[in-house]
Amino acid sequence: MRKLVKRGYLALILLFLYIPIIVLILQSFNAGKSRAKWEGFSLQWYSELFKDQAIMKALYVTLSIAVIAAIAATVLGTLAAIGIHAMRKRPQAVMMTMTNLPMTMPDIVTGISLMILFTFSKIERGYITMLLAHITFNTPYVILSVLPKLKQMNKHTYEAALDLGASPSYALVHVILPEISPGVITGLLLAFTLSLDDFVISYFTTSPMVQNLSTLIYSKARIGIEPTLNALSALMFLALLVLLLIVNRRASNPAKAR
Amino acid sequence: MVEKEHLIDLQHICKEYDDTAVLTDINLYIRKKEFVTLLGPSGCGKTTTLRIIGGFEYPTSGTLLFEGKDIGALPPYKRKVNTIFQKYALFPHLNVFDNIAFGQKIAKVPTKEINIRVEKMLELVNLRGYGKRSVDQLSGGQQQRVAIARALVNEPQVLLLDEPLGALDLKLRKDMQLELKRMQQALGITFLYVTHDQEEALTMSDTVVVMSDGRILQIGDPKSVYDEPANAFVADFIGESNIMRGMMLQDELVRFSGANFPCVDAGFGENQPVDVVVRPEDIMIVGNDIGQITGIVQSVLFKGVHYEMMIDTGETIFKVHSTVMQAQGSNVGLSIVPYNIHIMKPMLRPVLPSEGEGEEEEAL
Amino acid sequence: MNQSLSLPSWMLWLLGLFLLGFVLLAVYSVKRTNGIRRSFFASPYTLWMVLFTIVPCVLIAYYALTDANGAFTLDNFRNFWDSNYSVNQLYTQMGPEYEVLIQRGTVNIGILVYSLWMALLCTIICLVLGYPAAYFMADRNIKIGSILVVLFIIPMWMNFLLRTIAWMTLLEDQGLINTLLKSLGFHSVQLMYNDRAVLLGMVYNFLPFMVFPIYTSLTKMDSKLLEAAQDLGANHLHTFWRVTAPLSLPGVISGITMVFMPSVTTFFIPRILGGGNTMMFGDLIENRFLTEGNWNLGSALSLIMMVLILISLSVLRKADPEGEGGGMI
Repeated sequence: MRKLVKRGYLALILLFLYIPIIVLILQSFNAGKSRAKWEGFSLQWYSELFKDQAIMKALYVTLSIAVIAAIAATVLGTLAAIGIHAMRKRPQAVMMTMTNLPMTMPDIVTGISLMILFTFSKIERGYITMLLAHITFNTPYVILSVLPKLKQMNKHTYEAALDLGASPSYALVHVILPEISPGVITGLLLAFTLSLDDFVISYFTTSPMVQNLSTLIYSKARIGIEPTLNALSALMFLALLVLLLIVNRRASNPAKAR
Repeated sequence: MVEKEHLIDLQHICKEYDDTAVLTDINLYIRKKEFVTLLGPSGCGKTTTLRIIGGFEYPTSGTLLFEGKDIGALPPYKRKVNTIFQKYALFPHLNVFDNIAFGQKIAKVPTKEINIRVEKMLELVNLRGYGKRSVDQLSGGQQQRVAIARALVNEPQVLLLDEPLGALDLKLRKDMQLELKRMQQALGITFLYVTHDQEEALTMSDTVVVMSDGRILQIGDPKSVYDEPANAFVADFIGESNIMRGMMLQDELVRFSGANFPCVDAGFGENQPVDVVVRPEDIMIVGNDIGQITGIVQSVLFKGVHYEMMIDTGETIFKVHSTVMQAQGSNVGLSIVPYNIHIMKPMLRPVLPSEGEGEEEEAL
Repeated sequence: MNQSLSLPSWMLWLLGLFLLGFVLLAVYSVKRTNGIRRSFFASPYTLWMVLFTIVPCVLIAYYALTDANGAFTLDNFRNFWDSNYSVNQLYTQMGPEYEVLIQRGTVNIGILVYSLWMALLCTIICLVLGYPAAYFMADRNIKIGSILVVLFIIPMWMNFLLRTIAWMTLLEDQGLINTLLKSLGFHSVQLMYNDRAVLLGMVYNFLPFMVFPIYTSLTKMDSKLLEAAQDLGANHLHTFWRVTAPLSLPGVISGITMVFMPSVTTFFIPRILGGGNTMMFGDLIENRFLTEGNWNLGSALSLIMMVLILISLSVLRKADPEGEGGGMI
C-alpha cells in the first residue's frame, strides 16, 4: 500500500512534467494547424520543416553555437580548473568567487550586462556576440565539473610522472587528462545542453537578423507557433535521448572497473 | 672539496614557505650504494629534504650537488633519481604493465626491450603474471611493489622513498623492510629513505640522519646513534631513555637523582648543568644495600622479552628493563656502569617529541 | 550571415593580444619554475572573465549611477521608489491594477513586490511538491532512483519556451482541459491569463531544481543513521523529523536557492501564460532597456536585483554554513 502511494505520487509528478511534451509531440503529427483539435495523423510538418528557411537557419545557428561554445568553454574551463587547482589558497578563493559570480547572477542581468558591453564597445550584435556570450556562461559550469575530479586525484600522481621523466606537457596529456576526463566530458555535455536551451542570454546578445531556435520561437510566440517548430523540437528531443543512451553505455563500462 | 664517492651533496640548504623556515642549514652527503634514512617526527622537514632532492621543491638557498654537479635548478624529469611516493601515486588509468613501462616509453626504449625489462621487474617484486591487472584491483602491498618496480625499471642512481611502508600493516611492513633491503643490496642502488619509525630506520639503514624542526641533529650509523645520542632529543626519539637534568661536578663525575655517579665523559668543566641519559636496559637492579641509589618498584609490565618496571627513588622515577621481575612495592638498589651514562650539553628547548603518525605538511 | 561574421578590427587585435599574452605567460612560467607551476593555465580564463563578466558588471554600475548625459546622479535609484508619470506611461495599457501603481508612482516597487511574492509562492509549492518526490526517489526500496533522476532531467531538454507554450494548448478557453470539462458536462473555466497560470508555468519550469539537490542530500545520508535512530527507539515519524529532515536541510536550502533566484527574474512566462496582463521584475528590466531605452533606470533595477540576490544568498549560506547542498544537475 505504502509503496503504491509512493509510486503513484512519483507517477503524478512525472505526468505533470511530461504532459506538455506529449502535447507538443502529438501536435507535430496533427494534420491540421489547430492547437487543440486533432485532425488526423500526418507527417506534413516534418517534411515542411526542411523547407522552412528561417527554421533551418535558426537550427544551424543554434547547433553551431552550441558546438563551438561547448568546445571553447571546455578547453578554457579545463585549463582554468587545472590552473585554479594548482593555486594557493587566496588566489584560488578569488578565482572561485569569479566563477560563482556569473552562476548566481540572474540570466537576465548577465544578458543585459553583455548587451551593454557590446553596445558600449560598438560591436554589432549578431552571431559572434552570441557565441562569446555562450562561452562566457558555459565556462564556469565546465570548471565546476572538472574541479572535483582534480581534487579526487592523488596529488602526487603528476609529480610521479615528472619523476619518471615526463615533461610537464606530457604529464598533462598522458596523466592528468585521462584522470579528469569524466569531468571534462560531463562539462562538455552540460555546456552543450545549456547552450542549446538558452533563451534569455541569447535574446539580449543577438540581433533580429541572427536568431537561434529559442529567439525564433519567442518572436513567434505571440502570433502562434507553427507545428513545424514542434516537429523540429521533437526530433531534437529524440536526438538528445539517443545521445544520452550512447553516453550512458560509454560511462557504464569504465564504471565497472572502478 | 667534494669527495669522489659522494653521490649527493647538500650544502647549507634552507627552505622557507611564506617566511616560515622549514629547513635550516641542512648539510648532508650521501655515498654511492649507501642506505641513508632521514628520521624524525612529523613536520621535521625530512619529506621536504627528499622533495628538494627529487626536484619537486626548490631550496630557498644552498647548493644541491649530484656527482659534483649543481642540479638545484633542474626539473624532476631531468634528474637521475626516482621516487616512491607516499600512497604510491600509481596511474589509475593504466594497468600494472603500463605503469611500470611509463618511464621506459618516455625514454623511447624499443618495445621489445621494454617488455623484457618490465617482465624482469615484475619478477623482482614477485608480481609475475600481474601485468594486465588494473592497479585498482591490487592490495596495498601489491600496489607498493608496483610503485617500486615502476621506479627501479629506470635504473636510477638514487631511489627516494617517502614513508613507503606507512600504509601497510605491521606484518607486511616487516616483510617489506627485509625485501627492500635485499633489493637495495642486490641492485647496488643508493636508497634515501624517509620514515618516522625509529625501529625501521635502525633495522634498514647504513646511515641514520635524525632531524627535528628543520635541522639535522645527528648523523651516524644506527649503532652510534643509538648508543651515543648527540642530545636528549635524539636519545628520547631513538629507543627509550631516562633523561634527567644533572650537574657535571668534575671530569668523570656527574651528580643526578640525588647521588654522584662516576662516568667516562670529560671536558664539560666543573659544576656545569648537563643532560644525563640512561637507557632502561642499562640500569641494573641489585640488592638495596649495594646499589648506588635505592627505590621502590611502583609498577611492573610484562613486555614479552623483558619486564618494564617503574622505580621511584624519591627524586626520579626510572624506567628499568630487566628479565628478572621484582615484586611491586619492593625496595631495590640500582646501579649504573660508568660508560652507560651519557652526558650531553643541555638542550635549549625542553620540548620532547611525541611520536607522531601522519603526513607532513606540504605546500604545493 | 556574412555581415554578422565580420569582426571589428579592434577585436581581432584584442584576440591576437589575448593569445600572445597567453603564450608569453606560458613560456615565462615554464622557464621560471621548470614547468612545475600550473596556475598560469587559468590565465586565459581570468582574462576572459574580466572582459566578459567583470567589465560588464562595472558598466551596469556605471549606467546605474549616471544620467542620460553621463553625469553622476542617484536619480535612477530615486526613480525606483518614486517614478513620475512620464517614466511609466508605457504601462498605461496594462491591467487595471497598474493604473493605481502609475498614479502612485510605484510601478517599480509594485512589480518587485509582486515578483518576490510570486517567487515565494513558487518556491513553497516546489518545496511541498518536490520534497516528497525526492524522498520517495531516495527510498532504497525503489531501486530505480537513478532512472527516475534521468526521467526528471529529460523534459528539460525540450526547449523551455516550447514547453511553456504547450501549456497554452492545455489551458486555453478552447484548450484540452476545457474541452474535456465541457464534454463531461461542466462549464468551461478561465485558466489562462491570470496569476495562477503564471505560477503553474513557473512551478513547471523550476520543480526539477528543487528535487535534485534534495535527492542528492538524501542519498548521501548514511542509511545506518536511520537504523541507529530506530535502534534508539524512534518511530518512523520521529526518525523523519529528528534525523532525515535536519540532514537533508542543505539540499533543501540549495533547492530553495535554485528555485527562488531564477523565479524572481523570470520573464517570458508571464508574457505567455499571463497574457501580458501582469509583469515580473525580469520583464520590467527588459522593458526599461529595450522598449523604453532607458539604460540608466534599467541598470539601476539590475543592480538592485543583484544586491537583493546577494543578500538572500548570504542569508541562505548562513543557514547552510558548510555549503554542501550544492547539487548541480
